[in-house]
Amino acid sequence: MTTLKYILRDMWRLLVHHWVLGLLTLITAGVMLWILGITTLFSLNLENLLSRLESELIVQAYLVKDNTLDIDAIAQKIQSLDYVYAMKIYSPSDSLAKLQEKMGSQSRALEMLGDNPIPYNFEIHVHRAEDVEPLVEELNAMPEVDDVVYAGMVVRRISALSRISSRVALIMFVLSVIITALVVYNTIHISLYSRREEIGIMYLVGATRAYIATPFVLEGTLLSLLGAVIAAAGIMVAYFPGITLIQSNLPFLNSSLLTDRNVILRFCALLAGFGATLGWVCSYLVVARFINSITRPE
Amino acid sequence: MDINFSGVTKVFEPDITALYDINLNIEQGEFVYVVGQTGSGKSTLLRLITREILPSMGVVTVGGNNLRKMRRADVPYYRRDVGLVAQDFKLIPSLTVYENIAFVMEAMSVPKKIVAERTKDVINQVGLWRRRAMRPAQLSGGEQQRVAIARALANSPSLFIADEPTGNLDFHTAAEVMKILFAINAAGVTVVMSTHNQSIVNSSRQRVIELENGALIRDEKGGSYSG
Repeated sequence: MTTLKYILRDMWRLLVHHWVLGLLTLITAGVMLWILGITTLFSLNLENLLSRLESELIVQAYLVKDNTLDIDAIAQKIQSLDYVYAMKIYSPSDSLAKLQEKMGSQSRALEMLGDNPIPYNFEIHVHRAEDVEPLVEELNAMPEVDDVVYAGMVVRRISALSRISSRVALIMFVLSVIITALVVYNTIHISLYSRREEIGIMYLVGATRAYIATPFVLEGTLLSLLGAVIAAAGIMVAYFPGITLIQSNLPFLNSSLLTDRNVILRFCALLAGFGATLGWVCSYLVVARFINSITRPE
Repeated sequence: MDINFSGVTKVFEPDITALYDINLNIEQGEFVYVVGQTGSGKSTLLRLITREILPSMGVVTVGGNNLRKMRRADVPYYRRDVGLVAQDFKLIPSLTVYENIAFVMEAMSVPKKIVAERTKDVINQVGLWRRRAMRPAQLSGGEQQRVAIARALANSPSLFIADEPTGNLDFHTAAEVMKILFAINAAGVTVVMSTHNQSIVNSSRQRVIELENGALIRDEKGGSYSG
């Protein structure tokens, strides 16, 4: 308990005596974590948007015209395919009614066809755009299926966009983490370097390496945590007005945007925890390395 | 705490031989002057005792501990029993006189009350109580030296190492510092002090170890020094 009190007191001393460096670390960590947070939210919104687009992709499978077909068995067969997320069966009469509804005043033209030419068909939904092409291949291979209709080019584009956006999001996240870690690591390193004489003296008069290191590690962790809290507050302040602006200008995006205040609050809490952890890891690494080198006898 | 050097050589990279084949034994409770010209190896010898550096060859044993074999984790515990007064004082610039001295006990988790009592006691011993709230930069060289001595005394060490403790001081202040060192030695503490001040060595006639170009050229009890 006594040691803990001394360590906390020493950490406070470090903060007070070297407040300029502390402030520098705080601001840098805050800015970098804010960028990290905003980047992550942007990626999450993009992912949401793409996943909504993907869930709206439909594959239409038309069966051959044969009254002896067992529709239920075929439905089960299609349902059991890997890529099928949801499926709806349309009978020839349902399909015709749907078509008439769609054509409106021009639906009379359909009467000229005589018998209903539309066979039984299935409206199939997939999870991801990249599932469409393999599903179409499997459907085409089924003898009961006469034709498969889908928006091939759109699927390919959304699929490619989804792949690229996932990669870009991952790269942006990793880059932001690396940059934040490097910035925290370097500012703490500068802070330690400016105090190298003190550290050497402390070790020389009998302080253990852990006793010397702990206030520095706590200082780095605390500054990163405070930086993360500032970043989280900054995100709360900037994110919602930004979302409102997008909603008013691009209303079709409404259902794809993250607007739940609780989700964003939880995200900010996570960011604060992440900031503190990152600060702790970076501080620990840099302090351990630095003290190791400074206390090594020649 | 006794000290033993056995065939100790210290070479600094690339090829500066600071000490060469030193053999000596210092008994518990002795007062020893290490004398010699600047660059003769005095500070290197003392830094080997405090384990700031390790010998390139040979063995340094202090209080039965082979310093080369000492684990790094044990070094702070060893140093708590070695009071060090460095030529450049080695005070923490951001801390006050009081805090500099209290720090060595706090690092040992000594309770606050005992730290306060002991710190007051050693600051009074060196006559600096009125300066306790000042930082090192606000003190004169002599006062800083006395703070360093007080700090070295704080843990009641068994061995006291002083590297040119009177080097930057006027005659009167140097005499005061020496008085403190003799008092420490009178309490049974081994004192090893480096100096090139002839009048100090000649006025007290203690054991004198003389170094020249890294070699031990004289080890004399009750010796003098002519520079």
